[in-house]
Amino acid sequence: MIHFYFEGELLEAREGQSLAAALVQNQERITRLTRIKSTPRGLFCGIGSCFDCLLSINGVMNQRSCITEVQEGMVVQIQNGN
Amino acid sequence: MKQSPDAIVIGAGIVGATTALALTRAGFRTLVIDRGNLANGTTSAGEGNILVSDKGPGAELDLALRSRDGWFEIAEEIGNSFELEAKGGVVVARSDAGVKGLRDLTSKQRSAGVEAQDVSAAELRHLEPHLSHAITEGAYYPQDSQCQPMLATAHVLKTVANNGGDFLPGTTVTKIKHSHGRVEGIETPDGFISAPIVINAAGTWAGEIAELAGSSLPIAPRRGFILVSVPTRKLIFHKVYDAEYVANVASGSADLQSSSVVEGTQSGTILIGASRERVGFKEGIDYSVLRILARQAIELFPILAELQLLRVYRGFRPYAPDHLPVIGEDSEIKGLWHNAGHEGAGIGLAPASAQLIVESIRGIPTFMDAAAFSPSRFSKEVVA
Amino acid sequence: MEIKHQVIVVGAGPAGLNAAKYAANAGCDVALIDSGKRLGGQYWRHSGVDELDRKLHHNFDAGSLLMDAVRANPHITIYSDTSIWSASIVDNQIVLRTKSGVFLTERLILATGAYDRVIPFPGWDIPGVMTAGAAQALLKGSGVLAGERIMIAGTGPFLLPVAASLASEGSRIVRISEASGVLAWLPQLHVLLRNPSKILEAISYFSILRRNGVSIRNREAVVAARANESGVLESVTVAKIDSNFKILSTHEIECDVAAISWGFSTDIALASSLGLKASAAKDGSLFISTDEDQLASTKEKSYKIFAAGELTGVGGSDLALIEGAIAGLAAASAKSDKRRLFKVRKKLRRFAGSLHHVYRVPLGWKEWLTPETVICRCEEVDYGTIVHAKNQLSATDARTVKLMTRCGMGMCQGKMCSRNISDLLGSSDGDRIRGSERPIITPITLGELAQEGLL
Repeated sequence: MIHFYFEGELLEAREGQSLAAALVQNQERITRLTRIKSTPRGLFCGIGSCFDCLLSINGVMNQRSCITEVQEGMVVQIQNGN
Repeated sequence: MKQSPDAIVIGAGIVGATTALALTRAGFRTLVIDRGNLANGTTSAGEGNILVSDKGPGAELDLALRSRDGWFEIAEEIGNSFELEAKGGVVVARSDAGVKGLRDLTSKQRSAGVEAQDVSAAELRHLEPHLSHAITEGAYYPQDSQCQPMLATAHVLKTVANNGGDFLPGTTVTKIKHSHGRVEGIETPDGFISAPIVINAAGTWAGEIAELAGSSLPIAPRRGFILVSVPTRKLIFHKVYDAEYVANVASGSADLQSSSVVEGTQSGTILIGASRERVGFKEGIDYSVLRILARQAIELFPILAELQLLRVYRGFRPYAPDHLPVIGEDSEIKGLWHNAGHEGAGIGLAPASAQLIVESIRGIPTFMDAAAFSPSRFSKEVVA
Repeated sequence: MEIKHQVIVVGAGPAGLNAAKYAANAGCDVALIDSGKRLGGQYWRHSGVDELDRKLHHNFDAGSLLMDAVRANPHITIYSDTSIWSASIVDNQIVLRTKSGVFLTERLILATGAYDRVIPFPGWDIPGVMTAGAAQALLKGSGVLAGERIMIAGTGPFLLPVAASLASEGSRIVRISEASGVLAWLPQLHVLLRNPSKILEAISYFSILRRNGVSIRNREAVVAARANESGVLESVTVAKIDSNFKILSTHEIECDVAAISWGFSTDIALASSLGLKASAAKDGSLFISTDEDQLASTKEKSYKIFAAGELTGVGGSDLALIEGAIAGLAAASAKSDKRRLFKVRKKLRRFAGSLHHVYRVPLGWKEWLTPETVICRCEEVDYGTIVHAKNQLSATDARTVKLMTRCGMGMCQGKMCSRNISDLLGSSDGDRIRGSERPIITPITLGELAQEGLL
């Protein structure tokens, strides 16, 4: 079991899981609010094609959570816009 | 009306559209024709610049000053549906020669009616917080503006249609008919359309159109690339460019001229230019040029190193040998007018070029002397 | 840094893996480039946790053997986690630019695969609505069930394995709504009967689903979705539809996930960058056409670009394996007798072709839209804006609409919306093909671009 932070909360994940999967497992579906209308978005295509599951990882925005493997101690945040 | 309009405009880019607008306003039944859809050529590869900062005193600057106001008048009339914004320009200089050149230029520009303010390092920092700290000299031009060229062209054309004008996209002009030195109309695959006035607003392809009348216009392409970033939070607040840019515009060299131009847009993207090369209508992307553009942008704004790029635009600026646009009546064929060759300043200069040419067509006093833009300056007879 | 190989294969799914294996066994020095961390592409996406992978894949053993063979082959250098951000031909050499260096070769095999085809509907952007591929990736790649009450919808054979694996892992599938009719296979029965393995496969899925009490309804589609106050999926509107996708009646179904698949779109981005012209199939899907040796570039050129797998037309993993083998042999200029391979390929292509007839997607989905339905997800451009641009601003072709409304200009580079925009505008195939030029295939930072030692 590894642990990471999401919006300040400590969550559990299995090694090798994608960040998106870990979030879904923890009942978190919203990864960002869109730039213009601030609509919530999350995982959509699951394979890195749609760029909807973006969130901020360790301060860097626009990371595709579905193709990023979750790491111990990651600090993840919902991103606002791009 | 499509059968015999009062005037035909060839080219539905920004210059053709604004020309058509000025014509319809003056009461001409106008037909705009293009082999493709609107803004099919260089207009769609443009940044939407409306600048007075990059021109020294002269005819082009006078045109630019009038044109800048012209854009705001258009927005007043049809609504600002094309992201028109007086965002202001910041020009920076880095070398000693560059600084001196800039100070020289701003002082001359002020005499010509441009609001050009020399700014201190502190003021530069305030205008553009992310500007490299190595840059300490610059000038600020509050009049510099920007718009979205596609929307501008579309809304202007829509107004032309509302004014009774017509737009015929997807139609190639195959010949410009004339007889006894007077234009008669144009041939298309769908038939002949007669008109006493034909305006060549075909931008980078204006030379080809001139040839369809048996005339000629020395307009050639100057290739440019623009890098487009992902939409991002606002990092750049004005149009910012290196003073070297002005020298490059005027350069006669066929080699790559590049100097950094960086600006944001209302949609959140950051546009990075500018390169100029004489390579004909060369297709494809030259990645070594893109690399230079990236490097130069990072020199101005180190924070941009982290910025993700999404797209590259390629466009062919139309230019005449003396780098001035061609606005006026053909030297041989009456009724054939040219409004083309605006080299990287097409969007900015469009409204005033349109005004100038329509005033000339109407035979009323023009708002400025158009001699510098006359097509006759290229005539074979006029040889020094 | 320049990296040269005799043969380069892009894409480590079934087609690419087999192409690499065959080319290497024929004596070539091969590079296998893939953007993912693990081999397998989408079809053999796995978590690395052995028992889970074995359980979830119906032929994972075969895939696993192939992946092991490729990994063990001394003539194959694997470059995982490597994305190609641009590609071009320079002095008759194929140049692939990545963040780890510039790859050069004269023999390239493209096996870039496909991604789920998506169709917009009101609420399709609500978190919880996803592609069937996403639900599959969560399970196979990370061992995670997408949700607790899962709605599966769309059309095509892909719905069954996705539903079956989710159901067998304990997920509650509230319904499978298949848009095609029950008798859709009738006109293609002769093709189906020649492919008994496909029939057996389908039967195995049906029995898993029946065991788990999952109901399958035909002539149904998800036409709208609703969110709760937290902004995530709460329910979907399921409609009875006719063969033109016209809505006949509707009812609501509560679910926390709607996994929807409308078949697949080929990923032609890299191929287009290299100058390969896409062709349009009868149903409007784009693909790269090849000759019998899987050659996609013109014969006269000194460099050779081959294409294999979904890139040449969606046809499943067995076809991808065969095409990969043929491409690998051809790239290696091997003297082997490919006739048996050609025969199997022909049969599998026939089957793939029949799928297009059975699982049609007519344009009737346009009627499901409201002006507020987002069409370009990245740039949040809604249907009303596109209609306005078309009707009021002369934006009658996809390119003009794109430049005016920004739809297709977002980070996904039009993958999610290009086809739909073209369909909404009634664009010609030529228009769609022209619009696929992309000098930057996947985002690269200015800093990375500034550093490159580019040709």
